[in-house]
Amino acid sequence: MTTRRQMLKSALLGSGATVVAATAMGSLGPEAAFAAAPDQPEPGVLDPDFAEGRIRSIKDNTLMVLGSNMVFHQIRVVDGTSLWKLGPVGFDQARPGDGLYARGVRMPDGMLAAESVWLNIVNIKGHVRNITNEKIHLDHNGKDVLCHVVPGRSVAVHSDAPPSADLSLLRVGQHVQIMGAWRPDTNEVDIATVFSPH
Amino acid sequence: MQGIAALQPYVIAAFLLWAALMKLLSRRMRSQAGRTALARLFGPARAVPLLRLVAVAELAVAGVLLAPPSSPWDGTAAAVLSTGFLAYLAYSARAVPDSSCGCLGAHGRPVEWRSFARAGLLLALSVLAVTAGPYPIEPLAVVIAAAEVLALLALSPELDRHWLTPSRQLLVRLTRPLAVREPELIPLETSLRLLYRSPAYCTAAAHLSSDIQDFWDEDGLRYASYAARGRTAVFSIPLYGGAPADVRVALVEEPALRVM
Repeated sequence: MTTRRQMLKSALLGSGATVVAATAMGSLGPEAAFAAAPDQPEPGVLDPDFAEGRIRSIKDNTLMVLGSNMVFHQIRVVDGTSLWKLGPVGFDQARPGDGLYARGVRMPDGMLAAESVWLNIVNIKGHVRNITNEKIHLDHNGKDVLCHVVPGRSVAVHSDAPPSADLSLLRVGQHVQIMGAWRPDTNEVDIATVFSPH
Repeated sequence: MQGIAALQPYVIAAFLLWAALMKLLSRRMRSQAGRTALARLFGPARAVPLLRLVAVAELAVAGVLLAPPSSPWDGTAAAVLSTGFLAYLAYSARAVPDSSCGCLGAHGRPVEWRSFARAGLLLALSVLAVTAGPYPIEPLAVVIAAAEVLALLALSPELDRHWLTPSRQLLVRLTRPLAVREPELIPLETSLRLLYRSPAYCTAAAHLSSDIQDFWDEDGLRYASYAARGRTAVFSIPLYGGAPADVRVALVEEPALRVM
């Protein structure tokens, strides 16, 4: 990993033969922004390159996932796949029972070769009922959700201000939106970002 | 015992009067009647008339409790009404668990254990009131009655915003449970927000095919790598006080993706 990191770092400095384009060599050019984007699915039609559900089992590099519409997906994770579980994580962090969203390329055999996998990601809105030691007790449509603050990970975004690791401006009784990682089969969430309207 | 019971009718009557007046006079209550369990069980059009009917029943029982002479029937009427409350709560918690109870005013919280405890306490007080008579009032009875009033208020979720929320806000201000413990840790999200606003990311975004794969900190910079359609995009993001224009990017040709 260190050597790969060293290689990537040196690429940023403009050295190494494998660099295709870099800020150090000038701009990537405006045409890059209009480079061929992947085909967008038709409205109302299921996107074949997307899958969601919960992991039933893990076999080698393949996740067996049962979708909420009872459709079964096989999702292959490769070297280039990004996995998110409150932050970028390795494949070993994926566990049976985790919920996921995955995006990738559908193979002819029906398997989804994943480019990105988001594990247990949730986006909930509610009122802050109470704040205790490193925890926010959220009232989400009358249901209690216990949100854990993870030091070094959780940030608060107040209005349009840049994200801050300081969550102490949040108040009991206010409305918030929380993005985070659900702890499977509990009503608990680890906080990635708290959005506060003020 | 009888001395303690002597004040029960007044506690119950005061509570019923308050509940009835809230139902009859609160404009907010009427406008939000559609969200109560009554509206869900009997139809939105009947919610307001039903709330008024319940209010009249509460007023009648309060009047009977307050008007002399006291008889065991006063307490019995209050007990019947409290049993009705309990039955309504139990039924609405089963049939329409998302609705609020509409007991003491408009609020969005569904029926919870406190609503049951409050109705149960009213029932217990009513049973006590059956034995009430024209006995002299003892100081102990006053203390107990005051405790009952406080318990009824504490068991009313409708009043949380007047005492529970402010007291929690004060406690949070004093104890600061979310104060930053390790200020030297810079969350990844902070760097990503800077990255997303950078010209380097804007030019490279169309190439990216994955979310962030890896990141590490070195020499005051945070490096983040993404898959970019068979290649790898690597960004360097300033950790301390950088501008979006300071973010740099490189697209790197790597061997084709290997299966793990």
